[in-house]
Amino acid sequence: MYWEGLAIGLFSLGIIGFGFFWVIRMEYYLGYLWWPYPLLFGIGIIVLSLFVADAGWSALLGVTGASFIWGATELKEQAVRAELGWFPRNPNPKPQPPFVEIIRRIKAPHL
Amino acid sequence: MLQTSGLWLAIATFLSIWWGHVGVRWLEAKCADIRPPMVVLIIAGLLLNLVALFSANVTIGGVCSVVGISLWWDAFELVRQDRRVRHGHAPANPHNPRHARYLAEGRATIHDPLDREPGEALILPQQPVREREPETV
Repeated sequence: MYWEGLAIGLFSLGIIGFGFFWVIRMEYYLGYLWWPYPLLFGIGIIVLSLFVADAGWSALLGVTGASFIWGATELKEQAVRAELGWFPRNPNPKPQPPFVEIIRRIKAPHL
Repeated sequence: MLQTSGLWLAIATFLSIWWGHVGVRWLEAKCADIRPPMVVLIIAGLLLNLVALFSANVTIGGVCSVVGISLWWDAFELVRQDRRVRHGHAPANPHNPRHARYLAEGRATIHDPLDREPGEALILPQQPVREREPETV
């Protein structure tokens, strides 16, 4: 039997679980307008995975990159959930991301 | 030469998560009883993980396992989606007898509370769903 595939599957479960954690934290402390940055980070990790010789490590990077792209699509809905009182809402002002005016003109993606 | 294993796994992971969101909502809204699709998802997940165990190719094994484990998660997610609908956190399908029962109980809603931009049309969480003004879609 080959355990590498199953290990990658379990890793995906863990990294998606971590995704729930960082999405909640990022929305709370920074706000949903930061969504392009995890999106670009995820795309960057997937591009990096193309240049890793080992298929196993490349696979782990691919899974990680996809989970960051998904997390970027969750930030807007997380902001609405916080507004609805389903999650704690940060009463403090949130820092504006770089290029905020450009980001505001783009509709935040969500699944 | 480029290593495409990561790209394939990224596609499999993203599509699995996408299905876990969109497909599970659709399946839960259409099925009067969520137990049969749960059983199908669990068996499909088991089969895919068995394929992964006997696959010498890391990419094929990884894709099978990622999709298989996410199908198991989706089976569990059907229960959570049912709970969201019952509590008015997700839209109910009035044509589904199970959802119709939740609507009759007064806590469910046919509108998607998340279908809005942050900052617009805020609903107070302490306001029961049945006392809310009709939400605009």
